Amino acid sequence: MINEFISMNGYGIFVWSSFLITFLACGIFYYKTRKTLKKYEKEFAKEIEELSIEQKKTVLENSKIASKVLSSYNKTI
Amino acid sequence: MFNFINNSNIFIWIERLTNFINSIFFVLLLAALSFALILSPPDYLQGDSVRIMYVHVPAAWIGLASFTCIAFMSIVNFIFKIKYLTLITKSIAPIGLMFTCIAIVTGSIWGQPTWGTFWVWDARITSMSILALFYVMFIAIQKLISEEDRANKISSLIAAVGLINIPIIKYSVEWWSTLHQPASIKISGSSTIHSSMLTPLLLMFLVLILYCALIFLMKYKTEIIRIKKKNLKRYD
Repeated sequence: MINEFISMNGYGIFVWSSFLITFLACGIFYYKTRKTLKKYEKEFAKEIEELSIEQKKTVLENSKIASKVLSSYNKTI
Repeated sequence: MFNFINNSNIFIWIERLTNFINSIFFVLLLAALSFALILSPPDYLQGDSVRIMYVHVPAAWIGLASFTCIAFMSIVNFIFKIKYLTLITKSIAPIGLMFTCIAIVTGSIWGQPTWGTFWVWDARITSMSILALFYVMFIAIQKLISEEDRANKISSLIAAVGLINIPIIKYSVEWWSTLHQPASIKISGSSTIHSSMLTPLLLMFLVLILYCALIFLMKYKTEIIRIKKKNLKRYD
């Protein structure tokens, strides 16, 4: 029964390769997009950390995004 | 109300939406795969090779829909200069390109058992390949031209020209004699596909749409951070 399911009456190679290519491409694309996002978050958080105390305070007060990114970055390290 | 549409609020909503999609995604994927690979019946003519349809057709729909969105948004942006639209089109383009390529590759694999060949230069396949080229040009312009305004103008023009190709793809099977069958699913009028095949097709489409939303949200978030990072340089 499992052999039948895998061979799909001789069409298995076409069906499985189509699904494999689709989900592999989606997986790689997801990984790359997530990696780029994390890289930008890390760089942005590092740049905020490098600011003087006063500048950092101004940035965090004016930007919800900056404080969100910085807090999530601090959680990961 | 307009205060709601700012990057900070969008950023918070992106996080909420991402969490929501993550929570339902794998359950839906499992259901869609079960229907597509096990529960749906084989076709009376094509046998089990028809299961390729469950990835090929949604991928083609997403490829076409993404470019249509990009083109309309680019035209609106060209006229009204709305910066959010540039971010949106930039985030959608790579997703559309990937799904167009998936549609071409899986279609080619489906062609071998059905038509006896991986590739023919018929109207549908050729016009889909042209769509992939428009995507490549759109993305390449954004990457190669550093001056943002100029890059946006040129890529908007490419998207507007590429929009002509969309009805050509849609009606290519009716205008020319091709190996492709005419559309089985119609928005207006009755579809000729049986519900036992329509259900897995729509389920798989839903899963891939959710995946696209997830990628889009991550890309949009990256673009917002990139802009914020640029603005941070003012403090140096």
